[in-house]
Amino acid sequence: MIELKGVSCRFGSTVAVDAINLTVETGEVCVLVGSSGCGKSTTLRMINRLLPHSAGEISVDGQDIRRIDVRKLRLNMGYAIQGTGLFPHWTVARNVALVPKLLGWSRDRITTRVDELLTLLGLAPETFANKYPEQLSGGQAQRVGVARALAADPNILLMDEPFGALDAITRDNLQNEMLRIQRQVHKTTVFVTHDIDEALRLATRIAVMDQGRILQHDTPENILRSPANAFVENLLGSQDRGLKLSALRRVGDAMSRHPQPCEPDLETDWLSEDDSLRQALSVMLWHEAEQLPVRDAGGAEIGVLSRDQIWTGAT
Amino acid sequence: MLAPASDMPNRVVPVLASLALVLIWWLDFGIVQPNRIVPGTGYGLVEAIGAANSAGLSAGLLALMVMARHRFRARFYGLGALVALLLMWQPILLAEFADRQLPADAAYARTAIGAGFWSLLFLLGLMAIEVLSQLPSPRGHHLILVALVLVVWGVCVAAGRLDSLSLVTEYASRPDQFRQALTHHLALSLSAVLCSLVIAIALAIMMMRRDRWRQPVLATVSFLQTIPSLALFGLLIAPLSALSTAFPFLQTLGIRGIGWAPALLALVAYSLLPIVRNTYVALSEVPDDLVDAGRGMGMSERQLFLKLKLPLAMPIIIEGVRVTTIQAMGLTAVAALIGAGGFGTFIFQGLGQAAMDLVLLGALPTIALALAADGVLTALGQVCRPAGLKANG
Repeated sequence: MIELKGVSCRFGSTVAVDAINLTVETGEVCVLVGSSGCGKSTTLRMINRLLPHSAGEISVDGQDIRRIDVRKLRLNMGYAIQGTGLFPHWTVARNVALVPKLLGWSRDRITTRVDELLTLLGLAPETFANKYPEQLSGGQAQRVGVARALAADPNILLMDEPFGALDAITRDNLQNEMLRIQRQVHKTTVFVTHDIDEALRLATRIAVMDQGRILQHDTPENILRSPANAFVENLLGSQDRGLKLSALRRVGDAMSRHPQPCEPDLETDWLSEDDSLRQALSVMLWHEAEQLPVRDAGGAEIGVLSRDQIWTGAT
Repeated sequence: MLAPASDMPNRVVPVLASLALVLIWWLDFGIVQPNRIVPGTGYGLVEAIGAANSAGLSAGLLALMVMARHRFRARFYGLGALVALLLMWQPILLAEFADRQLPADAAYARTAIGAGFWSLLFLLGLMAIEVLSQLPSPRGHHLILVALVLVVWGVCVAAGRLDSLSLVTEYASRPDQFRQALTHHLALSLSAVLCSLVIAIALAIMMMRRDRWRQPVLATVSFLQTIPSLALFGLLIAPLSALSTAFPFLQTLGIRGIGWAPALLALVAYSLLPIVRNTYVALSEVPDDLVDAGRGMGMSERQLFLKLKLPLAMPIIIEGVRVTTIQAMGLTAVAALIGAGGFGTFIFQGLGQAAMDLVLLGALPTIALALAADGVLTALGQVCRPAGLKANG
């Protein structure tokens, strides 16, 4: 658990972060979102003490971070940044092994762990372990960046716009990976982004920041339903909030489930149970369909989603 | 699409070869002097080495021209071999010249290399560089070629075939002095570079920690570079004499107004600019986000420096050392003026006695040392380039 109580950060006379209170529960993903210069990165960098806080108290699992040895604190926090920050003169394997090596793990343990992580991030170790960052695509490099942050199995993950420099498709893939990995590892995560869609997608709770203050700190759904003020409303966009809300729901939660999975009809279009209601709506609009069958990851038909269910499910 | 350079007719070698062809026929190939001081008589190509050798030499140069114009796969290996053969032939031609033209009865008579021969050596050297640069790496060819040529020259000298050559005569009358000059020259220039390197790294780290140091430090080392070298050597005489008079124990260390102490100080002062500038630029150009990532993951400042900044900066730092070393090798020659020893001693003696061959005896080894330092440090820079970085990155 990370707690910030009345935390401020001043650079000379400018106030970057102004007496914010924020609690990140264990295992949840807290996304700090706001335009550039709003203090979101500053907040993140105060948590691993890359920046000192001028006032207030930051504690990790109940312990004041100023009382923890700074290197110990950072070694226990995975850190991923925009543009990867991979060391260009080290191979992928050595980059990922950075923190375990600092912690003095044995060579065998490090090798096993590196292979495990590269596999987790969808990078075949035998292909990628000995490549240099320059030989990777942007998406691959960022996967390595995330693997490096996870390497020593830290309790806390700090991510500073990690997908900010990627193209839309790659970003989309990596967000999916993040969700999948987070379901496996349950890290307490602080994630900074300026992209509200990314925030809505990844967050357990979102903190909307502006001018060094937190305007609203709530679940994506509550933020969409009742934005605290005009700034948050503007950030969400007034026109497509309904769609954004429907994007938060899974098809699997809104459909009517068959009593037993059955063989799918190969002729018709279908939805996956992990698709969002927003995607389901789009498919139905395109095919002018009243309802569509839903398949699970194995390909079996497990239920049916109707147009009405999207309506009731999304609101 | 552009054809690779090796598929196009080479223009450099034919130009150099034709220039060489003109110059060897036009200028004196060799000179015979009755003694050390008196200007000698020049001899043209045929007079110097005979018609057969002249024809052979010309044919060799023509062959280079023709071969360079044609496109076949191994032509650069052929060109390299031919250039190397020509370079290896030169000492034999010099010996031939001495046999033909040196009067047998004159004890003080000596042969000297003429302008034509110098031009030929120089142009062959340029051709060798051009041809070698076209050969694919790894660059083992360089070493083999240079070694072969040096061995043939060395054998000719050792066998006494070039004993009448004025340069060899000058060396023969002072081998111990030569060896001492070599030791002094190397010791002085290398220790100056080493001192500068240590100081430069300290200064660079200081400038990175405190930005307000940057301007004054860079201004100071730039200013030092602008003082004329002779003036700096001279300026140091007075304060160092005063020091050693005030503290006699300094004299026992050899620190006096003249000698190695002021020379070393001046050389260090000159060496600072390139090393300080390159070290600082290299270290401060390590991208901030890398340092940030490393620090954020728990690397200590020491680890950041040793594992991240220094390896990334290494090629540029070594480049600074290379420039500095070449410069120091040259400046050390000037330091002979204040009694620091080294090859400069021969140069200034030779100038004083109007004996150009003695000047050459000092100048040629100085050049050779600088070239050797250049080669060694270039290679070192390539070895130290971190894997994963582009060759030109």
